[in-house]
Amino acid sequence: MSGFARLQLLVYMALRSLWAHKVKSLIVGSLIGFGTMLFVLGTALLDSIEGAIERSVVHSLSGHLQVYSADGKDELAIFGDMTMGGADWGRIDDFAVIDEVISKVDNVEAVVPMGINTAYMTRGSDLERTLGRMREMVRAGQVADARALVPKVKRLVGLLDADLRNQLVIAGEDSAAELKEKLARAERAASDALWATFDSEPLSVLEFLDTRVAPLAGEGRVMFIRYVGTDLGRFAEHFDRLKVVRGEMVPDGRRGILINQKYADRVLKIAAARLLDDLAEAREASIPIEGTAELAAKARRLKTQGGAIELMLDPDDAEALALKLATLLGVETERNGEALDLGVLLELFLTVDDDNAIARHAFFYEQVAPLVDVYPFSVGDVVTIRAWTRNNALKAVNVRVWGTFVFEGLERSELTGAANLLDLMTFRELYGQMTATDRAELEAIRDEVGVEFVGRDNAEDALFGGGDSVEIDIGADDDFDAVAEADLKREKRTMAVSEEFDAEMNRKGLVLNAAIMLEDGDRIAESKAAIAAAAEAAGLKLKVVDWQEASGVLGQLALVVRVILYIAIFIIFAVALVIINNSMLMATMERVREIGTLRAIGAQRGFVMAMFLLETLVLGLIAGGLGALAGAGIVIWLGNVGIPAQNEIMVFIFSGNRLFPTVGAEHLGLGVIIILIVSLVSTWYPARMATRVEPIEAMRGAD
Amino acid sequence: MKPIVELMDVVKEFPLGKVTVRALRGVSLQIGRGEFVAIAGPSGSGKTTLLNQVGCVDTPTRGTVRIDGQSTSELAESALTKLRLHKLGFIFQTFNLVPVLDLAQNVELPLLLKGGLTRGERDRRVREIVDQVGLTEQLGQRPNELSGGQRQRVAIARALVTGPNIVLADEPTANLDSATGEQILDLMERLNRDQETTFIFSTHDSRVMAHARRLVTLVDGKISSDEATEAAA
Ligand SMILES: Nc1ncnc2c1ncn2[C@@H]1O[C@H](COP(=O)(O)OP(=O)(O)OP(=O)(O)O)[C@@H](O)[C@H]1O
Ligand SMILES: [Mg+2]
Repeated sequence: MSGFARLQLLVYMALRSLWAHKVKSLIVGSLIGFGTMLFVLGTALLDSIEGAIERSVVHSLSGHLQVYSADGKDELAIFGDMTMGGADWGRIDDFAVIDEVISKVDNVEAVVPMGINTAYMTRGSDLERTLGRMREMVRAGQVADARALVPKVKRLVGLLDADLRNQLVIAGEDSAAELKEKLARAERAASDALWATFDSEPLSVLEFLDTRVAPLAGEGRVMFIRYVGTDLGRFAEHFDRLKVVRGEMVPDGRRGILINQKYADRVLKIAAARLLDDLAEAREASIPIEGTAELAAKARRLKTQGGAIELMLDPDDAEALALKLATLLGVETERNGEALDLGVLLELFLTVDDDNAIARHAFFYEQVAPLVDVYPFSVGDVVTIRAWTRNNALKAVNVRVWGTFVFEGLERSELTGAANLLDLMTFRELYGQMTATDRAELEAIRDEVGVEFVGRDNAEDALFGGGDSVEIDIGADDDFDAVAEADLKREKRTMAVSEEFDAEMNRKGLVLNAAIMLEDGDRIAESKAAIAAAAEAAGLKLKVVDWQEASGVLGQLALVVRVILYIAIFIIFAVALVIINNSMLMATMERVREIGTLRAIGAQRGFVMAMFLLETLVLGLIAGGLGALAGAGIVIWLGNVGIPAQNEIMVFIFSGNRLFPTVGAEHLGLGVIIILIVSLVSTWYPARMATRVEPIEAMRGAD
Repeated sequence: MKPIVELMDVVKEFPLGKVTVRALRGVSLQIGRGEFVAIAGPSGSGKTTLLNQVGCVDTPTRGTVRIDGQSTSELAESALTKLRLHKLGFIFQTFNLVPVLDLAQNVELPLLLKGGLTRGERDRRVREIVDQVGLTEQLGQRPNELSGGQRQRVAIARALVTGPNIVLADEPTANLDSATGEQILDLMERLNRDQETTFIFSTHDSRVMAHARRLVTLVDGKISSDEATEAAA
């Protein structure tokens, strides 16, 4: 009873004493209050951000946990790292085995096989694609439609011709002959003699152009692509952020690729569209183009994109567009009796400033985009993906684009936007694993090229490079007959695209890593250990990492911010600590007689200790309490209005366009614990000094 | 009857650099329950040193000090503190009240340190003793709102509130004018008589000495005389 009364008295004395030294209390109190506010605000925000990153990472690509081979030299980085796909994560030879083992572990919802790689992707040149369309028209009996495209082909051939002539000027003796031969082919393609036979024998003309001329134009546009090879069905089932926006999901048992919409918009789209997007977006946000160096540069680049658009237009469309542009721009279509050049109109149209950016953007998508290929391919097209196999040979596989997708809520994020989804069979093939298709192809090569014997042992070498007897060179020119090459290509592509496989084929075989989805995402550490143990028991050499580790630099981002926050808070509290320590030491010295008196009339050392500690503690709890409440208040306010994501990385970090942070009892509790520690530590020494004051000090005269 | 305070051959030396100050040079003294004793002597004669030995805030270099039969040099620091709390009361020359506490709280303080009493009991004791020192009107005032004499009366109330065996006062009137000093001495005398508490106080002032019933005179750290005064008669 009186123990409590004694405490009451001590608290009362502490309050009185703090009041008696108002200025000092205010300074120390503000420091503690500010530090605690920062702590509560900072940790609450960080936890919210970490939770958001977790939602982004876990449900887009990584799952709660990732496993990969213990043989890998590099650490798994799901969202990419500095090695540009050159990282060595080892490989898991048979996914079925690990699936079997890991699926049985408690709390595991699913194991999703994966293989991440960086490759490049090409689609045919404009010439090749135009010829392809013409062939389809002819086969469908629409020869007249095909004929309408002839001027376009002629224009493209003209460009090729010019290009070859330029090359000839700078070419040396040895390549000159070869270039002249190519030039002859290009000139033939442009000649009236050839086109005179188009009406009677369109297919043979097209055949000539396709096999003898189109290869001269090279591969068309080359685009880097990062993909995650996976069991697409399983992936879609367990990564619920995945949403197909155009086209359709790759059907079960079929090969194919799903292109990330973000990647399509940011990387694949033609430059004019991308630049217009950026400029219009900036204007929507009222950012001036002229005053912003980056935007001004984009505007200048945009002006030069007319040629690329013009090349893609069909002749009829070109004329119609010229009229529309003239109307829009308010210029005469004829000047000095001559029709105004479309190139000039396009350049005028693409001259964008602060006032017209948004309107031009809209006009572009309404009127121009439908006439050109804004994306290098459309849904349903076949693209060629090339990757370096593990044997350092270049491997090319044709694959159908089934659709585009987004990770819902992360549409704006470039980090998740960098990942495209590929079927596992194609991934394995590009990685360099022998498939049935490969074997068939090997046969074909043997027949075509006439290699006498490709043994089982050196078959892979033969296919993926390493042996000198056979090499598949994908370049436009090579030693063996171009016709044979083109045929071979076509055959290979058809096989790859149309091949079907069953679920078991998908499951059995090589992967690089696997994502593990847990039923209860709060038990990550526990499940991680359980999976590691299960793998160990099954004799599998696997590394198990959580989503944070698996996301590479990104996972560490929150950690870095946390460390910075802790350092800042530490500094604030360290300053508070020193100030409190000093002022309490001074107080001890000033109050020697008072302490001596208390000791003389029977107060034990513990009472004196408590008196000093409580003084700081009361101040700490009042100031810290106010600070913590202020911090919590700010978080709650932010939780209501949301913090907007300023850029694409932040969309990922916030797991959406806005972060709605929350504050929990643990943040306040931790804040209080820190105040307790700071108060006790800072006052410990002065309080100990106070306990050493002898009761005899009370007896000394008033000197 | 056993003496409440017993000093046997008490020597107190203070090492001061190379020399040693001998403040008490063999003091033997017995004080019984309820005595009202003045310690006199010239400045530097050892009065304060002697009271400190009795008050258990210091222990002798040699010799024995017994309080209620208990030798102080055998006790640990915390036991000495407990002894002070339970058996002793202090009145200081400079009053030594806790500035942040009001009158009642200052007086209640020793009761809280002692513990074991309910709030009601504490309140009753405080009122009683404050009434005896005549400060009921000032109960809620803080030390800096009180005069010197009032402060010393608060100190007396604080010293007596736990009902100690001995009250020690080192020059309790030195910081007061003579009239107020007289009043304080009268109060101490009355309380000594009413409560049978032993009072030991030191003083320079012969008028103060006149109140004592026994006068111990120190010279140079030794008792030069120890006699009953006229007041005892
Ligand atoms: N802590 C100490 N250290 C050293 N010397 C001391 C100490 N306390 C007292 N002395 C010395 O011991 C002697 C006795 O001092 P004490 O204070 O007991 O005298 P006093 O009779 O109380 O004198 P006053 O009337 O001036 O108060 C003096 O010479 C004093 O200088
Ligand atoms: Mg003295």
